[in-house]
Amino acid sequence: MAYDDLRSFLDTLDKQGQLLRITDEVLPEPDLAAAANATGRIGENAPALYFDNVKGFTDARIAMNVHGSWANHALALGLPRNTPVKEQVEEFARRWDAFPVAPERREDAPWRENTQEGDDVDLFSVLPLFRLNDGDGGFYLDKAAVVSRDPEDPGHFGKQNVGTYRIQVIGANRLAFQPVPMHDVAQHLRKAEEKGEDLPIAITLGNDPVMAIVAGMPMAYDHSEYEMAGALRGAPAPIATAPLTGFDVPWGSEVVIEGVIESRKRQIEGPFGEFTGHYSGGRRMPVIRVDRVSFRTNPVFESLYIGMPWTECDYLVGPNTCVPLLKQLRAEFPEVKAVNAMYTHGLLVIISTAKRYGGFAKAVGMRAMTTPHGLGYVAQVILVDEDVDPFNLPQVMWAMSAKVNPKDDVVVIPNLSVVELAPAAQPAGITSKMIIDATTPVSPDGRGNFSTPAKDLPETAQWAARLQGMLAGRA
Amino acid sequence: MSNLPADCPRCAFETVTRLATSPVPGVWDVLQCDRCLYTWRTTEPARRTRRDAFPENFKLTPADIANAIEVPEVPPLLT
Repeated sequence: MAYDDLRSFLDTLDKQGQLLRITDEVLPEPDLAAAANATGRIGENAPALYFDNVKGFTDARIAMNVHGSWANHALALGLPRNTPVKEQVEEFARRWDAFPVAPERREDAPWRENTQEGDDVDLFSVLPLFRLNDGDGGFYLDKAAVVSRDPEDPGHFGKQNVGTYRIQVIGANRLAFQPVPMHDVAQHLRKAEEKGEDLPIAITLGNDPVMAIVAGMPMAYDHSEYEMAGALRGAPAPIATAPLTGFDVPWGSEVVIEGVIESRKRQIEGPFGEFTGHYSGGRRMPVIRVDRVSFRTNPVFESLYIGMPWTECDYLVGPNTCVPLLKQLRAEFPEVKAVNAMYTHGLLVIISTAKRYGGFAKAVGMRAMTTPHGLGYVAQVILVDEDVDPFNLPQVMWAMSAKVNPKDDVVVIPNLSVVELAPAAQPAGITSKMIIDATTPVSPDGRGNFSTPAKDLPETAQWAARLQGMLAGRA
Repeated sequence: MSNLPADCPRCAFETVTRLATSPVPGVWDVLQCDRCLYTWRTTEPARRTRRDAFPENFKLTPADIANAIEVPEVPPLLT
């Protein structure tokens, strides 16, 4: 089933027992963030949280951890809540093949109900803003879908980008914004700033659950996130025209913020507790002037807690990072069986692959580093054989311990590009990268003593399914 | 709400601006340092709101602000 807005998805989470309503009065800080932080510490099927009694506010509605468990991620894709992770990734990859699915334009967007413009814009009056981590520089919008267009090709629907970036609220109508250089919006901004022009931008908050997934997904520069959302939903994505910028924005958003990134200006921003489990330091970043806000009556403010993994961010971008890498690798290397890029947005990736000849697995590892996402992430690659499940970490550790001869199987390449947020980079944005080849050597690479492996019994898979069925029946 | 504090908990700058006040009157204000843009709510714990309790690791000096790296760098103008 396809959800057209956040509210209908929250209803489903509620009915499935995956939404926890916290009705006691809570403090905006530290309670909201601490509760969401705690969801990452209570198991893999934690619920979303909904707060509507926050001290000092009269009508705050705050949703957190909406994608923050495998159960919720499955429900976002319209799958049964107990779908195993590997099956969720495989289904995601299967639906990808329907791309592109043209969106459906609608004119009656509910966010047209209320508007603030010009000097009347006051984000604090629309949103119950709050802080996440102790060291954060302020209050953040960290789960928005940000829409921008290529200034040199503004009519190209595919080059219109929808992405998630961190945004600090630094005034009633001013935001600081982080375009990581590897990401599409940074290309848009560079082109605008080279001409000395502002870059128009639309920021949508409280989106339908698949929109949040594609906005955080590393897609090709000229591929449309809306057309991918249609493929993943199994139905066209509903979009509407933003009134100020004319950009295409999700029909079902709670809030649409429009304005410009002011050209060639930088201002202090941060720090912010990031997906790496570390704060990024204070840096001088672009700033946005907000010129118009459109919002549903009684908007739901959706935010996510981010910090020491695992957090909602990891559930949100885990599968959507695996699938592009899987597709891009398989395009040239059909031997690739599965890709697990769920650790810190793919800074570490585990790939299972068959081998054509000796040395082949290392080539697959190098290709992973040169995919579009790999250029900014993929600092460590572990290659395992085709019969090792890269999502099964005990199996991966067995392969590492039994198959790796460090002298020949660990390759370190110096001075490659990485996202500047990577804490181990030196200088920021540059790192060495490592391949660990934990596959069995094949001819003409005749190393080791691997001729007598112990294999699962032929009946084991059948018994595993039978036992799982018995356990499910007991639950 | 109460009077504005004397200085920023993070960088000790002496000019602080009120960005917002609670919809329920008198519960909290949201304040901001005019120099380092640090933003806080008056009801937050002391470790976020008081200079003497603010973690040393997160304090900023004027030099830290002036020398912070630019991300992304402003590109040259096309001529």
